[in-house]
Amino acid sequence: MVKISVLQHAPETHLPIRPGDPTPTSRNLDPLMHPFARARERTRALNAAKMDRLFAKPFVDSLEGHVDAIEVLARQPGSLTTIASGSWDGGILLHNLSTRNKLVKLPQAHKGKVSGLCFAEGDRLLSCGVDRNIKLWSIGRDASDQPLSIFPGKSAFNSIDHHRTDALFATASNLVQIWDETKSAPISNLTFPTSTETITSVRFNVSESSVLASIGSDRTFTLYDIRTGKAERRVVMQFRSNSLAWSPTFPTTILLASEDHNLYTFDIRHLATPSQIYKAHVAAVMSCDWSPTGLEFVSGGWDRTVRIWKEGQGHSPEVYHTKRMQRVSSSIFSADARFVMTGSDDGNVRIWKAKAADKLGVITARERAAIEYRDSLKDRWKMDTQVGKVARTRHLPKSVHQASKLKRTMLDAQRVKEERRRKHTRAGESKPKAERKKVVIAEQT
Amino acid sequence: MDSLFAKADAIQPLGKKRKVSHPKSSQKSKDTAQADRTLQSVSKHTSVPKSFSKLPDAPSTYGHIANKKLRLELNRHTAQASRAKALLEDADMLLGDEAGKIEVEGEMERTWRVGQGEILKGAGEEAARGRREWKLDGGPYRSRYTRNGRHLAIAGRTGHVATFDWMTGTLHSELQLQETCRDITFLHDQSHYAVAQKKYVFIYDKDGVELHCLKSHIEPTRLEFLPYHWLLASVGTSGYLKYQDTSTGQLLCEHRTKLGTPSSMAQNLHNAVIHLGHANGCITLWTPNLPHPAVQLLAHMGPVTSLSVDPSDGGRYMASAGRDGTVKVWDCRNWKGAVREWNVRGGGDTELEWSQRGALAVSSGGTVNVYTRPTIHQPHNAKVAPPLYLTHPVVHRPITNVSFAPFQDILTVGHAQGLSSILVPGSGEPNFDSAEADPFENRKARRENEVKALLDKIQPDMITLDPDLIGSLAPPPKLTTATSSILSGKSVPETPFARLPRMERLKVSGKADITEDQSDGEEVDDNGKKVSRGERERRKQRGKGKSLKRYLRKQRKNVIDPAAVAIRKKLDKQREEKVRARVAAKTGEESKKPSALDRFKRAP
Repeated sequence: MVKISVLQHAPETHLPIRPGDPTPTSRNLDPLMHPFARARERTRALNAAKMDRLFAKPFVDSLEGHVDAIEVLARQPGSLTTIASGSWDGGILLHNLSTRNKLVKLPQAHKGKVSGLCFAEGDRLLSCGVDRNIKLWSIGRDASDQPLSIFPGKSAFNSIDHHRTDALFATASNLVQIWDETKSAPISNLTFPTSTETITSVRFNVSESSVLASIGSDRTFTLYDIRTGKAERRVVMQFRSNSLAWSPTFPTTILLASEDHNLYTFDIRHLATPSQIYKAHVAAVMSCDWSPTGLEFVSGGWDRTVRIWKEGQGHSPEVYHTKRMQRVSSSIFSADARFVMTGSDDGNVRIWKAKAADKLGVITARERAAIEYRDSLKDRWKMDTQVGKVARTRHLPKSVHQASKLKRTMLDAQRVKEERRRKHTRAGESKPKAERKKVVIAEQT
Repeated sequence: MDSLFAKADAIQPLGKKRKVSHPKSSQKSKDTAQADRTLQSVSKHTSVPKSFSKLPDAPSTYGHIANKKLRLELNRHTAQASRAKALLEDADMLLGDEAGKIEVEGEMERTWRVGQGEILKGAGEEAARGRREWKLDGGPYRSRYTRNGRHLAIAGRTGHVATFDWMTGTLHSELQLQETCRDITFLHDQSHYAVAQKKYVFIYDKDGVELHCLKSHIEPTRLEFLPYHWLLASVGTSGYLKYQDTSTGQLLCEHRTKLGTPSSMAQNLHNAVIHLGHANGCITLWTPNLPHPAVQLLAHMGPVTSLSVDPSDGGRYMASAGRDGTVKVWDCRNWKGAVREWNVRGGGDTELEWSQRGALAVSSGGTVNVYTRPTIHQPHNAKVAPPLYLTHPVVHRPITNVSFAPFQDILTVGHAQGLSSILVPGSGEPNFDSAEADPFENRKARRENEVKALLDKIQPDMITLDPDLIGSLAPPPKLTTATSSILSGKSVPETPFARLPRMERLKVSGKADITEDQSDGEEVDDNGKKVSRGERERRKQRGKGKSLKRYLRKQRKNVIDPAAVAIRKKLDKQREEKVRARVAAKTGEESKKPSALDRFKRAP
């Protein structure tokens, strides 16, 4: 007896049962059924990388209104849309990010530049300036161009920050002062015993709200506690820092934007070395701010670029630049971590997307799935020469490119010189020093 | 400050392992069982879905890697791969359709004794529709299926061309071209097809409207379409293999085979290599980026009449038939002799074709024989045919073409009187993948697949003999600074490029001038002693320095400079001439051969 069976596809399993039904699909995962699977996936990865660059249009809008360079930007806690900007002409503007109009205009808030801005509880804004005054403004419905109160100081102020919960704020001048909103004189003065510096910036810790950090012009970074009322630690570094920001998610991590073109994160439990060095700027870094997620941060530099870094990855950040943007003096993340605002010397506040190729607007589930698939493809094929090159390459302005080339050459030459010097000294006399150990000169308590 | 530290200590960074003291497991389970009443009550009525169940983890084999991040990543990858493998086994359950087969019970029974009539009786109603006889006059016919096996294109030698959906019997187009048609092939799907006509290749759309005349393909004899690269390959009587990109319309390249008119052509589905069989018995393998064949072998003692590559084994085996009456099966990884060869009976050109599941159809004389795996691949010393699986006589000679329908148990035989398709149980792959080729796809799916295929088009210069080359490890770079460590055999840390001395850097980057070193070495002086360069310089007679030599000495930059190289070559030539002249002077004029032109020489 012979058993015979001939292959036949049952139409009822492969055709729609009723008209209008989707045609059933079938899958066979046998690799022989999918020739060139890897090559095709690579093509898709390359296309994904190219599309990413194609859609990279990070610039959203520019908020005008100041007649001079912008010095400081501040975000209102608990609000997605409100930011304040202070300028060298003494004006303060309050912007709404979604409608992009000005909520409040204070053109003559201070004489000279506005050096610090922060929001207080209940729709109020604190500003300080080089005219030795701190002013408290109302920005709600009863906003007016007259301050609610004025706190006179003895010297020009450089920075201001509000306590997270209490009605306290700290200012930086030649010393750190703690003020009560209801009192016209500072309630305490904080200073490191031997310091004669000018404090350039001061920030309260987000988690432990009585801890305060400041940076000064004599290359120091100091930690205070307002409960004990004294300086706890001080670190002297090779170069001075221009800006600092506490991590919003990890309480002991602090980010410093340094004059030596680098950014440093420190764990304040180990102040001897930074936990990570972030190198890409080719001029002094003027400002920095964490994303609310604590996974990214933005920095703006003297080299007219804005860079967005991933926490823990010390190289190849995202770079934003435009022809007309000048030195970036302030940069902040938006509260939803999707946008970045920068203020620069040309007097404009610019809004950028935090992810350059991000699509604004509603994204359907299918679109989201496609985006995620493309991202994973890019990640999977990043080691491929072509895909990696497309994904990594960023166009830089010529001046920045030249500066980075020159910087690389100089660093190489320095390193080679040191190498040779070491070769010709007695063995073991001069050991190479790790880059992270070069940063801090002294740690004082 | 201390409270801040305490807070931070509680939140360890993600990378660091938290030290947790594990209590005894038995005690713990008892405790939790007692404590978690909810879990107890729920667990009776629940089961973990299979996709959540614990899948085997790969044993970590990366303990030797010092870099923590890399080790973690590699471990994650292997775990994922092994999990995917386990899941793949589960996915086999979803394959619904079963392959056809003929099974005999008795020892004396043979499958080849089963005729088409008996198979038709055993076949279902749907499957029986595959047995057809098309009686056509238009000369010997060639046929080609689409990749999903739903549509068939036929071309008669004298110019009858038709494409149709053979399942429903709808005719898409029928043309009487009234000139010789040598081959036909569908492009990416049934919407376009190309015909190799008397002088050029023409492309028609589904309705038979002529879209393109490819004038660069002159007198084509065979056509192949590479679906993942969107390349139409043709060979002509002049022996040129031409690739045309059908997505951009460009003629990609043309290779001169230098072996006369190719008599047969086939493609390897798994690496897109084109196999050509030539009139002198050679088989050559071609890729677009090589101007010469990747492989060339002498396979037959006469023209190669037919070629086919086995799609069932990842393109590992190739079968060839020659006019010398032999059929040979080759291993594409090792061309040292055929795996198996046998003689066929009957006259005429032998045609052969491999099916999706590895059945080999060989037409010879007036019969079509089908052989199956694994006996075709098994090496066999004697020249006997493998055990026959199925045979079918075709009375209309000559048989010009055999082609299997993908995803069906159907073999279509083209012959002088038209076409006849027979049932070959077990030849077709039962389970198709809708993302690749779907016989039941509707219009929308066809359109979508067309766009997807265009987006996934692989660049033609990525065709290689080894399709796994893409995405594999990169070869070690040629520019390495680790020469010394290799020589000494020790693991000396490699000096970074920037810290090497200048000469080393030039050497590593391939810019160092090696030609200079020849003159730098020690030379032998007249007395047979070795003289160093410094010595030579010192002893050199002053005032005799040639300007060119001085120039070269001053130009010593150790970088390949075209001017310096040219001068050095010139000096070498001069030196050689001088030596030759000296030798000539020593031996005298006699050594020269007398020439007919000597009579015009002036007397000295």
